[in-house]
Amino acid sequence: MNLKISVLEYVQEIKNGNLSAEDFMSKTLERISDVDDKLHAFLNINKDAIDQAREIDKKIKSGAKIGSCLGMPISIKDNICIKDSKTTCASKMLENFVAPYDATVITKLKEQDAVFVGKVNLDEFAMGLSTEFSAFGPSKNPWNVECVPGGSSGGSAVSVSAFECIASLGSDTGGSVRNPASFCSIVGYKPTYGLISRYGLISYANSIEQIGPLTRTVKDTAFMLNIISGLDENDNTTVDNNNADYLSGIDSGIEGKKIGVIKEMIGEGIDPRVLSATNDAISKLESLGAICEEVSLDMVKYSVAAYYTITATEAGSNLARYDNLRYGYDFPVEGYEFNSYISKARRNFGPEVTRRMIIGGFVPSAGHAGKYFLKAIKVKSKLTKEINEAFKRFDLLISPTVPILPFKIGEKIDDPISLFLVDINTVTANLTGKPAISIPYAIVNGLPIGIQLMADSMNDKLLLQAGHALENTVTLPEVPI
Amino acid sequence: MVTQEEIERVSKLMKIDVDDHKEYVDKVKRMIGYFDVLDSAGVESEEISMLEIQISSLREDEYIPFSDKLIEKLNHYKGTYVRAPKMSS
Repeated sequence: MNLKISVLEYVQEIKNGNLSAEDFMSKTLERISDVDDKLHAFLNINKDAIDQAREIDKKIKSGAKIGSCLGMPISIKDNICIKDSKTTCASKMLENFVAPYDATVITKLKEQDAVFVGKVNLDEFAMGLSTEFSAFGPSKNPWNVECVPGGSSGGSAVSVSAFECIASLGSDTGGSVRNPASFCSIVGYKPTYGLISRYGLISYANSIEQIGPLTRTVKDTAFMLNIISGLDENDNTTVDNNNADYLSGIDSGIEGKKIGVIKEMIGEGIDPRVLSATNDAISKLESLGAICEEVSLDMVKYSVAAYYTITATEAGSNLARYDNLRYGYDFPVEGYEFNSYISKARRNFGPEVTRRMIIGGFVPSAGHAGKYFLKAIKVKSKLTKEINEAFKRFDLLISPTVPILPFKIGEKIDDPISLFLVDINTVTANLTGKPAISIPYAIVNGLPIGIQLMADSMNDKLLLQAGHALENTVTLPEVPI
Repeated sequence: MVTQEEIERVSKLMKIDVDDHKEYVDKVKRMIGYFDVLDSAGVESEEISMLEIQISSLREDEYIPFSDKLIEKLNHYKGTYVRAPKMSS
């Protein structure tokens, strides 16, 4: 049985009767058993997955109404709630937390008969870009297990790339879907802010984060988006997409489209191999009839500092709920004064979360807010104006997703500033609310390079069309695991 | 430059207790130091954009019954109350 098929191929094979959901699930679990000791994508496996797939086969055979996912195995980042399942955020603080309700995206996938094969690894509370900050150990890149898979949705990207599931959901606060997608040579999608409900996503930085799919093809991303996007009364930041069909017209091509090449994202600090792949992608898009010209977004230079200031501030507020009384682990209260109890309990946060909480208290505090937080918010406003101006001239913007190749595990963990700068090309989409996609484009020295395309808000359909056109220009080798 | 004392004061306010104080302070200082780049952005006169949402656009603020007895799942639930640390030493 071929586990390396796309979501759309799976659907076709099931419909044709060439495949059963139970067999596919069984082989998927075997694959996880074979490779996940090396990769550590999964934090836990759904023990009922085969039974659930078998039930779906029965529904199909009986001719009962069946959802469009037809029992396909999907992995879920472990900061998205599935009722009665552990949701740890890869943190010792939530090691035994069992979610009492489903996230809206989970409800929607359940309605379409998806089966959740397991919960996957992330940087603790999604704070990181390498999955090295997981309290349960790092995930490994299937292209080179000595390298990071990116993050924070590293487990999601690894599980899709290494054929441990057919698609995954991650969350993207500053590139956390696109960065690991790029590092693992798969498609990663950050939708327009509000397109997908965040209800049931454990909050890190609400004002800019979004749930997004990670898949092997752009069409698979469109398929997933058709299911999980749209208004949700439980998340008042959601926007009405009028039930858009992201798959229809996806083959439309990009002839005549104007694409801006973001100057600040291909400059200082970029690996020459990444630059070469980016230039090659631009040439390919031009050969498909697109018109590419350079564009400058001056505020990109300040975007990483603004991003970390804003996200730390929101994290400081969001994580204040972890006082070990409402959420937390088994730590007796006897003998402690109230404040010292909370302080001691919070030792279960890992080092990166602890650092960001301290920063989150510092940058918006009296006496410092004017220097840090207010300036960061103003950079966000100005960057949004700049990109809105750019979208008056261009249909799409292009850059490498990440300016460097996947790096060795441990290589950057003690250097927070060099880690910050890995985010330079991805945070703009979050700060401005624009949709962005990472397309697997090249393998150099055995390591993947992804190309990022961005579109204006609510132009997700156009973005997927362009992404599909770009992915069709290359044939990449198979992951070597 | 941010001082060690400032970081320690904020850590206390945030109810953060760490073992290796120096390691945390050094890294946090470097991270906050990087944010000084914002001083060069020239955004002092920039207006902060806001998204206004009318209250009428929000869902009704009404009680929605929840089937699970979540309070019973708390670590320190004692049948009729939740045990918390004492409020003063």
